[in-house]
Amino acid sequence: MPDPVSQPAAGHLPVITGFGCVSPLGRGLPATRVALRAGTDGISDVRLFSVSSFRAKTAGQVADLPQDDPRRTRAANLVLPAVREALAFRPGFVPELVIAGTTSGGMDFGENFLRGFSEGMSSRDARRWVRGYAPQQPVFDVMEELGFDAPVRVVSNACASGTNALCLAAGLVRGGLARRVMAIGFDALSELVFAGFDALRASTEEKCRPFDSARSGLALGEGAACFLIEDISAARGILAAIPGWGLANDNHHLTQPNPDGSGPRLSMRRALAAAGWDGVDYINAHGTGTPFNDASEAAAIRSVCPSTPVSSTKGMTGHTLGAAGAIEAAFCLLAMEEGFLPPNINLRESDSGLDIVANVARPARIRRAMSNSFGFGGANATVLLEKFP
Amino acid sequence: MNIAILGIGCVNPLGRDWNTVRANLAAGRRPESVLLPGPPGHPAHPAYCVPAPFDFVHPRLRRSSAISHFACTAASAAVARSGPLPAGTTALVFAATDGAVVYTRRFYEEVVKSGCGSPLLFPETVYNAPASHVAAMFGIDGPVLTMVSDATAGTDALATAAELIRSGEAGRCLVVASEEADWILCDGSRRWGLSSTGSESRRRGLLSEGAVALVVGAASPGDIVLETVHRGLGIARNSSRRERLEKMFFELAGGTPPEAAVLSSSGAFGGNAEEAALVKLFPGIRLDAPNKLAGEAFAVSTLLQCAWAWQEIRDGRAGRVLVSALGWNGQAGGAVLTVSAREG
Repeated sequence: MPDPVSQPAAGHLPVITGFGCVSPLGRGLPATRVALRAGTDGISDVRLFSVSSFRAKTAGQVADLPQDDPRRTRAANLVLPAVREALAFRPGFVPELVIAGTTSGGMDFGENFLRGFSEGMSSRDARRWVRGYAPQQPVFDVMEELGFDAPVRVVSNACASGTNALCLAAGLVRGGLARRVMAIGFDALSELVFAGFDALRASTEEKCRPFDSARSGLALGEGAACFLIEDISAARGILAAIPGWGLANDNHHLTQPNPDGSGPRLSMRRALAAAGWDGVDYINAHGTGTPFNDASEAAAIRSVCPSTPVSSTKGMTGHTLGAAGAIEAAFCLLAMEEGFLPPNINLRESDSGLDIVANVARPARIRRAMSNSFGFGGANATVLLEKFP
Repeated sequence: MNIAILGIGCVNPLGRDWNTVRANLAAGRRPESVLLPGPPGHPAHPAYCVPAPFDFVHPRLRRSSAISHFACTAASAAVARSGPLPAGTTALVFAATDGAVVYTRRFYEEVVKSGCGSPLLFPETVYNAPASHVAAMFGIDGPVLTMVSDATAGTDALATAAELIRSGEAGRCLVVASEEADWILCDGSRRWGLSSTGSESRRRGLLSEGAVALVVGAASPGDIVLETVHRGLGIARNSSRRERLEKMFFELAGGTPPEAAVLSSSGAFGGNAEEAALVKLFPGIRLDAPNKLAGEAFAVSTLLQCAWAWQEIRDGRAGRVLVSALGWNGQAGGAVLTVSAREG
């Protein structure tokens, strides 16, 4: 009997008609495309705050990010160019709804507020920092800057948030509840979050090496990606379709995945069943580079798509948390468009049992791609993308 | 497909179960406020708090703060009323505005600033930590989503739950909102002008805490259903706020005046706009505002309004009730509840 959760609703096919991406690999698609194919290491020494008391010292940071308006958080400054770039694909696109995925929202302003108790703060600053801390505020700031208004739903499902935003947006279109939805994933690097992963010893002191036998942890990153998602019947300039997705929850532990890979396996199987597919041409893995995550995900991939080429791009970008799913979906679109499998850099020897795209991009024709995102709390999300036409 | 509310659970400063809370609200009782102490040199802030001690005993909650205990308690009560959640087809949609901000403050103070706290504080700061505890308690392996916003996180969660059920991604959905009234939340809200310092409590409401859980699923004839859940509206631009609210309420009601509306206004921040829009649009409509007694708990308050609307219909005081959610962050949402047609 089919799994009832994965049954696709009869309805409208959601398609992507525009996208934009800002990550440690570049501000915008042209730079990102080149860096992604080249296997660029976007991880560098942290410059945004002091890391002297932390074990880890590096992260993926977006270079030369304009900070021209002190009212905007760093997160808003990441979201702005991604949304602007996506809208350039479809001039005049006004979303009926914006769905944003984020883990830490405007945390840099939250940190300022917390610091203010010991270092002093003016009433004006306090008000600005409280307001900016709300996770939906970066999106409001960007809408105001770009001159459009729409209701905003924020999904905060830890590191699966970006993929969740894509899935929820696609679900609205598929169900006939909306025809034009904007999906965004974003997160900015912040000291509090950096300290959190460092304290859990999840961050590495050396290179982030997803799926390497001697992997020692993740590097954090930051960025944003934005997608314009429309009903195929009204869309123009279609780039890709979103024919299926799967969401699943792993109740094993608050921070650790079940070692047997049951959560990721369920989300991947649900996605494939929803699309009616039996496989894909490429998997962009969650692949954080932590021992537990990669072992669990590899076990799941071995049981669902054992011979499919796989790479994690987090060795290049770092783990961008709530942005990761969106950024990695954007990487899948670029890989489809350009005909290459993005490399899994910093790999020396893999114990995954998977066909890892080791260190160098591989030419390939990709029509169907899968992107995985998993997070604290046992959140697992998989989205499928299909090149169009 | 009609989506029914099949079970309600509630924890609130006015009571630890829905029947007690609604009885106290119906009697016009307001909770006793308590003073939450701040760091040295900073004033204490008043808030409505669930009386301590409050513990929901479950292995996952050993290190969790009150927000997760409230959520699990309300969820358990809702499920007890609805019947067991079907294995493999249940989703959980959690709504929060501030989440476990108490842990964010503690993590900053103990780990970031002092470098001597437990690293295990960090995972509890994440917005979806309470949802993961609720999911683990019930063994939910379907979609588990945490929606974050102002009061409209509550209507976002309801809309998302309805969408998951209508799309076939879930057969039943547990919708939970939970908040914890930490000192820093009160301080931030006061500095922003959203809440009272106590002496002004008649003019501006106090922050509150607790949880409300609703089990929603396919309706049977005679069930109380979510006739409509609005997908939301941005009303940040003041110039057209009232007109846009009127449009949203008109859309929600489908042009047919509801008999009553449950306002979001707690007195904490501008509720005049929703009241004015509703009265203009539906002259003679009865307006209830339970949050003016219960205090402001954002997404929790919105689900409390839904529970209040459900009870009004259940007790025969109204046949069709509109719930209005007006958030401090320039978002608006709402829902209309009614009785599912008996002929199905």
